[in-house]
Amino acid sequence: MGYIQFENLNKYFGSNHVLIDISLNIERGELATLLGPSGCGKSTLLRCLAGLEEVSDGRITMDGKDITDVPPKKRGIGMVFQQYSLFPNMTVAQNIAFGLNMKKVAKDDIQRKITEIAGIVGLADKLQDYPAQLSGGQQQRVALARAIVTEPKVLLLDEPLSAIDAKLRRNLQIEIRRIQQEFDMTTIFVTHDQDEAMVMSDTIHLFNQGVIEQSGTPTDLYTHPVSKFAASFIGNYNILSAADFEKACGEAVDSPDVAIRPEIVRINIESDDEAARFHLEGTVVGSISHGNLIRYTVRCNGVDINADIMFEKSSLLSMGQTVRLSIRKSNVILI
Amino acid sequence: MKRRNVFSTVTIILVVVYLLIPLVVTAVYSLFEKWTTLTPERFTLANYAALFTERDFMMSLLRTIIVCIVPIVLTVVLVLLALFVSIIYFPKLEKVVQMLCMLPYMIQGVILSVSIISLYAASPTLLGNRLVMLTGAYCIIILPYIYQGIRNSMHAVNMPMLLEAAEVLGASKLYGFFRVIVPNILSGIMVSSLLAVGIIFGDYVLIRNIAGTSFKNVQIYLFLTMKSSSTKASAVFVIIMITTFVITLIMLNLQGNEGRGKKLKGKKG
Repeated sequence: MGYIQFENLNKYFGSNHVLIDISLNIERGELATLLGPSGCGKSTLLRCLAGLEEVSDGRITMDGKDITDVPPKKRGIGMVFQQYSLFPNMTVAQNIAFGLNMKKVAKDDIQRKITEIAGIVGLADKLQDYPAQLSGGQQQRVALARAIVTEPKVLLLDEPLSAIDAKLRRNLQIEIRRIQQEFDMTTIFVTHDQDEAMVMSDTIHLFNQGVIEQSGTPTDLYTHPVSKFAASFIGNYNILSAADFEKACGEAVDSPDVAIRPEIVRINIESDDEAARFHLEGTVVGSISHGNLIRYTVRCNGVDINADIMFEKSSLLSMGQTVRLSIRKSNVILI
Repeated sequence: MKRRNVFSTVTIILVVVYLLIPLVVTAVYSLFEKWTTLTPERFTLANYAALFTERDFMMSLLRTIIVCIVPIVLTVVLVLLALFVSIIYFPKLEKVVQMLCMLPYMIQGVILSVSIISLYAASPTLLGNRLVMLTGAYCIIILPYIYQGIRNSMHAVNMPMLLEAAEVLGASKLYGFFRVIVPNILSGIMVSSLLAVGIIFGDYVLIRNIAGTSFKNVQIYLFLTMKSSSTKASAVFVIIMITTFVITLIMLNLQGNEGRGKKLKGKKG
C-alpha cells in the first residue's frame, strides 16, 4: 500500500471529464513526476491532492488516512506553484514564516528555522528583501523554502521551473532533487518537459487525456514505451506504421506500429551486412543541430527515419547524400 | 524627442496653471478686506482668525469629516466582502455585483435624496434618522468609485492564486484575504477612497435635501456664510481645500508605507 493512494479518482469540469478513473500509488520518500502535455489533467490531479479542487468521484488517502474531503489547510501539504505565488507585501523572511505562524510555532523556533532554510536554499542574505527585488530563480527558491520549512508530509511542485531560463532551470532541477533527498520528502512533481522528468524522478507517471498512459522508472519509460503516445512523448522516437516499417526495412511485424530511438540508428557510408541488424538505404533530406548532437532525417523508400549522431565536423553529411542506415533488430520496439 | 519633451512640459504647466488659478485667486481674495477695483485693499488674516476661533465652524468641519469617513469605511468593507465572496465562491455572480455597483452612476443626487426621504422619513426605526439616511445616501453615491478601484486592484494581484498559496500554508480563506490580499490592494482602496472624499466634500444637494440646514456641515456653513461675507466664504473654501489636501497626503503616505515592497519592482531581472 502506497503512502499516497488515488483510488478510482474522477474529476469533471462541467461536462469535461478531465481525470478518468485514476488509480495511483506513491511511496514514502519518493519523487514521482506527473508528465504529460498541457491539458492532460496532471495539474488537476495535483490540485485534488492539495485540496484546491474537489474530487467528483473516488478517494485519496495519505499515510492510510482518507483526506478526500479534508480542507487544504489541514492536509499538511507544501506546494510550490508555477507562478511562485509569493506574497508581494511580505519580505522573504515573512513569506517563509507565514506557514510557521499558521502552525503557531514559537517565535524563537520560527527565527531559527528561517535562518536554517534560507541557508539551504542559498538566500541567507536576501531575507529582508521583497519578492519584487528578487530574480525569477531566487523567487522560486523562496517559494520552495516557504513550502518545505513547515516540514510537510508531501511536497507538491506544479511546473515550478517552467518560467525560468534553461541554464538556471538545470541548476534548480539538481537543487530541488538534492533538497528532496536531504529531507527524504515525498514529492510529486508536475511537468510537461520530458528531459526534466528524466533528470529528477524516481518514478514517472505519463498522462494523456485524463488517464495514466504508462508508469515506471525513467529508464523503463525511455526504453520500453507501451504505446504510440508514450513513444512520441518520450525520447523523440521514430514511430513507423507496420506498412512503413516493412517498406523501409523489408520485414513484416506483428504490431500496428514500431518505435525506433534515433540514437540507435547507425549511419554508414559503407555497406554493413551484420545479420542482427536491419539495413536500409536512403538519402539525407534534413538535419537539425542539437548542440552536441545532429539529428539527420533520412528518406528510405519514401519513409523518413530520424537518426542522431554525435557532432563531428569531419563526418558531416550533406543534403541529398546517399547513406546506409542500420538498426539493431532487438532495439525495434513493437507498440 | 527634445521638441516632444518641451511640448509635454508646456502642456503640463498650462494645465496646472489653469487648475490652480481659481484656487489661488480665491485664496488671495480671502486675504483682503475690500475689492473695490481690480486691486485689493487692506491685507488681513481676520477671516481665518475668526473661523478658527468660531466653534460653529470647527464643529461643521468636524461633522463633514465624520460624515465623510463613516460611509467610506462602510462602503470599502462592504465592497471587499462582496468581491471576496463573488470572486472566490460565486465567480458567475461577479457580473451581477458589478452591475449593481455601477447603477448609482445613473442616479442624480436630487432623485436619490427625494427617494430616500420618501421611503424612510416616516420610518420609526433607526433608518428614519436623518444622519443614517445621509450616510446611506453617501454609501450609494460613492459605491461605483470604490467598487471599480478595488475590483481592478484585486484582478491585478491575481487573488485566487495568492489565496490558494495562503490556504495550502494553513490559512483560512478569510484570514488569507485580509492578511495577504487586502495589503496588496491597499493602493486601489486608497485611490478610490480619495475619490470618494472628493465627492462627499463637494456635495451640497444630498446634505441639504436629506439633513437640512439644521445639520450644519462645512458645505452648509459655506452656503450660509456666502450670504454675509464673500471674503469669509472664500476663506472657508480655502480651509476646505487644505483639509482635503491634508487627508489626501495622509492617505498617500499610508499607501506609500504599505506599498514599499512593490515600488522596488524591477530592480532585478
